[in-house]
Amino acid sequence: MTRRIALPFLVFVVLLLVWELAVPLFRIQQIVLPAPSGVAGTMMRTAGPIAFHARHTLVTTLIGFGAAVALGLLLGFAIGASATVHDALYPLLVGFNSIPKAAVVPLLVMWFGIGAVPAVLTAFLLAFFPIAVNVSVGLATLESELRDVLRVLGASRWQIFRKVGVPRTMPLFFASLKVAISSAFVGSVISETVASNAGIGYLMAVATSDFNTRLAFGGLFVLAVLGVLLYGVFAVIERRLTGWAYTD
Amino acid sequence: MAFVGPSGCGKSTLLKLIAGLVPATSGSVMVDGRLVRGPLKNVGMAFQNPVLLPWRSVLNNLLLPFEILRENGDSRAPDRALWREKAVALLRTVGLGGAEDRQPRELSGGMRQRVSLCRALIHEPALLLLDEPFAALDAFTREEMWELHQTLRLHREFTGVLVTHDLREAVFLAQTIYVMSTNPGRIAHVHQVTLPFPRTLDQLYGAEATELIRLMRDQIRSTRERTA
Repeated sequence: MTRRIALPFLVFVVLLLVWELAVPLFRIQQIVLPAPSGVAGTMMRTAGPIAFHARHTLVTTLIGFGAAVALGLLLGFAIGASATVHDALYPLLVGFNSIPKAAVVPLLVMWFGIGAVPAVLTAFLLAFFPIAVNVSVGLATLESELRDVLRVLGASRWQIFRKVGVPRTMPLFFASLKVAISSAFVGSVISETVASNAGIGYLMAVATSDFNTRLAFGGLFVLAVLGVLLYGVFAVIERRLTGWAYTD
Repeated sequence: MAFVGPSGCGKSTLLKLIAGLVPATSGSVMVDGRLVRGPLKNVGMAFQNPVLLPWRSVLNNLLLPFEILRENGDSRAPDRALWREKAVALLRTVGLGGAEDRQPRELSGGMRQRVSLCRALIHEPALLLLDEPFAALDAFTREEMWELHQTLRLHREFTGVLVTHDLREAVFLAQTIYVMSTNPGRIAHVHQVTLPFPRTLDQLYGAEATELIRLMRDQIRSTRERTA
C-alpha cells in the first residue's frame, strides 16, 4: 500500500524538479510556462479565493453527481430488467451520450442564466450515462440457471431482482461511480469556464484572460488534486462494499 | 430416472418443461397428477454451473431458499434457527462440515457443486431436477459425487430427474433410463436398471452395466447417423 502511494508521488516530485530546472535552463518566459515554485507561491498568496472556488466546484459537482446516481440507477435497472425498455431507450441514450456536452452548455445558460445551475446540469448529463449502462449490464447478464433455481422455489421477478439482481450489479455500479465522479467534475468545470461567477473553472477563465499563467496552473493543480481525491474516495468505497467481486 | 441422448435432442428443454419454466408449445405436462401451468414451487434444480451467489457465504447461500419461502409465507420455512441447523447438517452429509462461513470463491469446483446440490435439496423438494450437474468435474470428483448423490437419495424421499451425457452416470444413479433421439426430440428407447441400491462403482464394470452401456451407446449413435 505504501508502495502504491509512494511510487507515483516520487515520480510526481521528479517531474516537478525537471520542470523547475527546465524553465530557467531553456529561458522560458514565466508568462508562457511558470516554474512550479512560482505557481506554489501564487497559490499560497491566493489560498483564500482558491479554497472558496474549489469548494464551489466541489459542491456543484457533487449535486450533479448525486442526481446522476439516482437517475442512472433507475434507468439502469429499467433497461437491464426489461428487454422492451432496453430496445426503446438504449439507442436514444447512445445518441444522447455522443453529443459533446460542451455544446449543450450555451443552451443551458440561455435557459437558466449564468451561475451554478448550468454547471450542476452539465455534471449530471456527463455522469449519468456510465452509471446507467453499467447497472443495466449487471442485471442483463444474470445467469439464466440462477433465475431458474429461484423461480422453482416460487420466487417472483421482484424477489429475484432484490435478492440477486441488485447485489450482483453492485460491483459494476461502484466501478461506474469512479468514472462518473470524474465525468461530473469535468462537466461542472467546463460549464464554469464558459458561464459562471464562481468555481475553479471560472477562476481559470479569469486568470487566463489576465495572462496570470501562474494562477491558471494553480487552478489546474487544484483540479487534479480534487479529481484524484474524489476518485480515491469511490475506489475505497467500492473495495469495501464489493470486495467479493475481486480475486486476490 | 435419467434422460440420455445426443446434444440438441431437447433434454434440458424437457427439464424446463417439467419445472414449468417454459410453456409447452403443444401437448401438456403432468406432475404428481396435476397439469403444469406455471413454475412449480416444490422443485430443486442444479446445473453444470453451480451458480452460487459470490457475495454470500456458503451458509447464506443455503439460506437463500429459506428467505424466499418465508417472504412468500410458505410453511416449509418455520424459523431461521431451524433452517440453519438443517443447512449445517446437510453440509456435513456432503462432506463440507465446518465450511459454513467460507466464501464460494474459496471452494474448489467439486465443493461448489456440492453446495449447489445442497441448495437444491434444502427445502426438501418432492422433485429434484439435475441438468448435467457433474459434467464440469474431473472423473474422480464426479464418481465421488455419484456416491454422494446416492447417499442423499437413500436418506430422503424425492423423485430425481437427471439429464446427462454420461451413460455410466445414468446407469449408476437411475432406475429408469430414457434414451432420446434428435430431430425430432423423442424418447427412442427405455431401459430399466435392475442393479439393487445401494450400488457400488465396481458394479459399473460388471457384465450387466457394461452390456447396457454398450447397447445405449449404439442406440444413440444410430439416432445420430439417421439425422446426419
